[in-house]
Amino acid sequence: MTRLLLRALCAAAFSVMAAHTADAAPAITFYRQIAPIIYKNCAHCHRPGESGPFSLLNYDDVKRRATQIAAVTKRRYMPPWLPEPGYGDFVEERRLSDAQIQLIQEWVKQGSPAGPIADAPAAPQFTSEWQLGTPDLVLHVQQPYQLSAGGPEVFWNFIIPVHLKTTRWVKAIEIRPGNARVIHHASVIVDRSRSARRREKSPGSGFAGMDLTVAETTFDPDSTFLAWKPGNVPAPEPDGMAWRADPGMDFVFNVHLRPSGKAESVNPAIGLYFTDKPRTKFAMLMELEHDGAIDIPPGERDYVVSDDFRTPLDLMVLAVYPHAHYLGRLMEGYAMLPDGTRKWLIRIPEWDLNWQGVFHCKKPVYLPRGTVISMRYHYDNSADNVRNPNKPPKRVRGGSQANDEMGNLWLQVLPVEKGDQRAVLQDALMRRLYEKYPEDFIANFNLGDLLLSQGKAANAIPYFERAWKAEPRSALAATELGTALASASRMPEAIQRFQQALDLDPKFTDARYDLASAEAASGQWEPAANGFRQVLKERPDDAKAREHLGEVLFTWGDELAGAGNPGAAVERYSEALTYRAEDAELHTNLGVTLAQLMRFKEAQAELVAALRIDPSSETARKALAAVQAQIKDK
Amino acid sequence: MRKAYIVAAVISAVLLAVPAFAETSGPTDLAGKTVQLFDTNHSKPTVLIFVRTDCPISNRYAPELIRLYNELSSNAIFYLVYADPANTVEVIHQHMAEYGYTFTALRDPSHVLVKFAKVRVTPEAAVFSARGQLLYHGRIDNRYVDFGKAMPQPTRRDLEEALRAAVAGKPVQVASTTAIGCFLADVQ
Repeated sequence: MTRLLLRALCAAAFSVMAAHTADAAPAITFYRQIAPIIYKNCAHCHRPGESGPFSLLNYDDVKRRATQIAAVTKRRYMPPWLPEPGYGDFVEERRLSDAQIQLIQEWVKQGSPAGPIADAPAAPQFTSEWQLGTPDLVLHVQQPYQLSAGGPEVFWNFIIPVHLKTTRWVKAIEIRPGNARVIHHASVIVDRSRSARRREKSPGSGFAGMDLTVAETTFDPDSTFLAWKPGNVPAPEPDGMAWRADPGMDFVFNVHLRPSGKAESVNPAIGLYFTDKPRTKFAMLMELEHDGAIDIPPGERDYVVSDDFRTPLDLMVLAVYPHAHYLGRLMEGYAMLPDGTRKWLIRIPEWDLNWQGVFHCKKPVYLPRGTVISMRYHYDNSADNVRNPNKPPKRVRGGSQANDEMGNLWLQVLPVEKGDQRAVLQDALMRRLYEKYPEDFIANFNLGDLLLSQGKAANAIPYFERAWKAEPRSALAATELGTALASASRMPEAIQRFQQALDLDPKFTDARYDLASAEAASGQWEPAANGFRQVLKERPDDAKAREHLGEVLFTWGDELAGAGNPGAAVERYSEALTYRAEDAELHTNLGVTLAQLMRFKEAQAELVAALRIDPSSETARKALAAVQAQIKDK
Repeated sequence: MRKAYIVAAVISAVLLAVPAFAETSGPTDLAGKTVQLFDTNHSKPTVLIFVRTDCPISNRYAPELIRLYNELSSNAIFYLVYADPANTVEVIHQHMAEYGYTFTALRDPSHVLVKFAKVRVTPEAAVFSARGQLLYHGRIDNRYVDFGKAMPQPTRRDLEEALRAAVAGKPVQVASTTAIGCFLADVQ
């Protein structure tokens, strides 16, 4: 105790001496030197309601943590910032300079003095409301997640239906984690075909899982990263880069949760901000990866996973999102330009999954056509890697579970040439994937999809066949194979594939819809009508299914009427009216058929309705005249 | 303010044996009473666990500390020690309710127990023999290697090992370990 006092006295004496000897070098005080550093770099997260476990908003807050702050800044644990400076310039950068860190150490050594309050910078101002203002649409999770007090980290997925009446363009998204202190990272995945919700045990219950693949049946790749991490500052998309939100689509909200010591309820919300300006610039998310090659022996200290991709277009790299699990250590992403120069995209000397995030380039990185983009990720599966989930280490392979490993370098790129160039890029990406994994599901599936979207259905068939072979349990692969077969006019085979898809997943409404469409195209009215009826039970707001069911019933009615079965025809027409109430021709045919059954009053009503909708209908007018004559005769 | 605390700490450390001072600045329970730390009659060891209400690492250990309490509190005396002078009795009650602690809590605003137990951070523990001899001080387990560097599961549960040895009357193998957490010096 005495020694401590003595030291304090010495320090005080020394600082007095220092002040005397060098007037120009004033002591370090909180208000003059430290507060600006803390307010700018720490307070954004360290304030009530945010991810920091305590606030750093004034002298007392900081003083109560001074030694701690000195220790964690010295180690560069705080503020958390993974990328190495000089290997990419990022908007999100929150990193202290060596001089700032030194200043903090000195200040704490001097006893963390406050200094004259007159030197105080303006206290940081934050809003606890939506940072971008009131959203146009706020979406909540259906059931909050109840995180237990202890135990391992949790990766959870919430399904959030996006309730929209019409397609909207989204210029910004703001994610409010709800309970920021237990959420390490969150990302939103757009699920246009609502494929992920089939993994829920009951609607809205959510499901566990670290990385997930969402099935898409149309080619419209995501154009932007929708992610949140501690300290996140939401930002609107650049002009012309709004993204599409469709009625009926889902968001999958994937969160990485860390127990806090007490039970916590996790209840995030998403705010959407719309614009009337549709997309004019077609950015795209693309991925370098080689998960399929990951097979790390236990004890291996430096296992390298690499991928290289030659771009077929001039590209601007707008953002970078590197991803690995617990064994990742050094991660590098760079580009070799055709002239032999190397441009760094990102370099992370010591990966930490807990601080993963999307990094937006301060200036877009221009990569001319022919540039080879590369990733080199280094993994440590030894016992010395403290984050190694296996003690002792085990063989680890590629996969999406927390105990598997991944190696992805996602890039947000914008083709320089105007217009939608994404198919060209997608084609090259999928060919690269196919090169890596000739039997791979995604490579084959996406190449098939691409060919299908280009109208080359017959060429697409073998790719979908291989995709289905790769994943025989995939109802989606069977369905897409069916679609390709149907587009190539191989209807009986198409019907068979759709039926197989439904055997695999009876709740797969897309397959049911496609089956009904194929049956309708083959003139199999009864199963087609039953199919569309079921689709409408599953998706009551499906306008296309309503339209097709109406069409099927109408045509079926015509066929029955032509075959001399007016009674049955009337039933079909009447049901068809549910879906095509404003179809003059349908009213006319129903009227004429009712007349055949001598039900003149009803016939008259239908024909009047037909003429109300289409006053120029000659058939309806003549039929009405005949029916009215019959009524008069009676 | 800071100076005042230092002076108080010095005096209370010197005069620990004087009850009048122990009541004002020495460790007390939440009712403000001094406590009998050691079980001289029944030879049970005592364990002091130092926590802070706003220390994330300390809070994350709550389930593990509760487990140890549930398994060993019939053979050892457990105290949860709040050494942050800013932690009022109300704050401590609320913190204990939130995290599910049912042990006896002590306030140690002048860090008398902190020094006695030779601890530096929260969470950190000290195990004493029934006669008050310090047998172990240090981390709960080895899960945290550094700030932000944690193993998914600990491979050594140091506090549990020391406490079980003390309960069994066996020698404690490792007398001290380095704990990772929030520095107590900051809240003196």
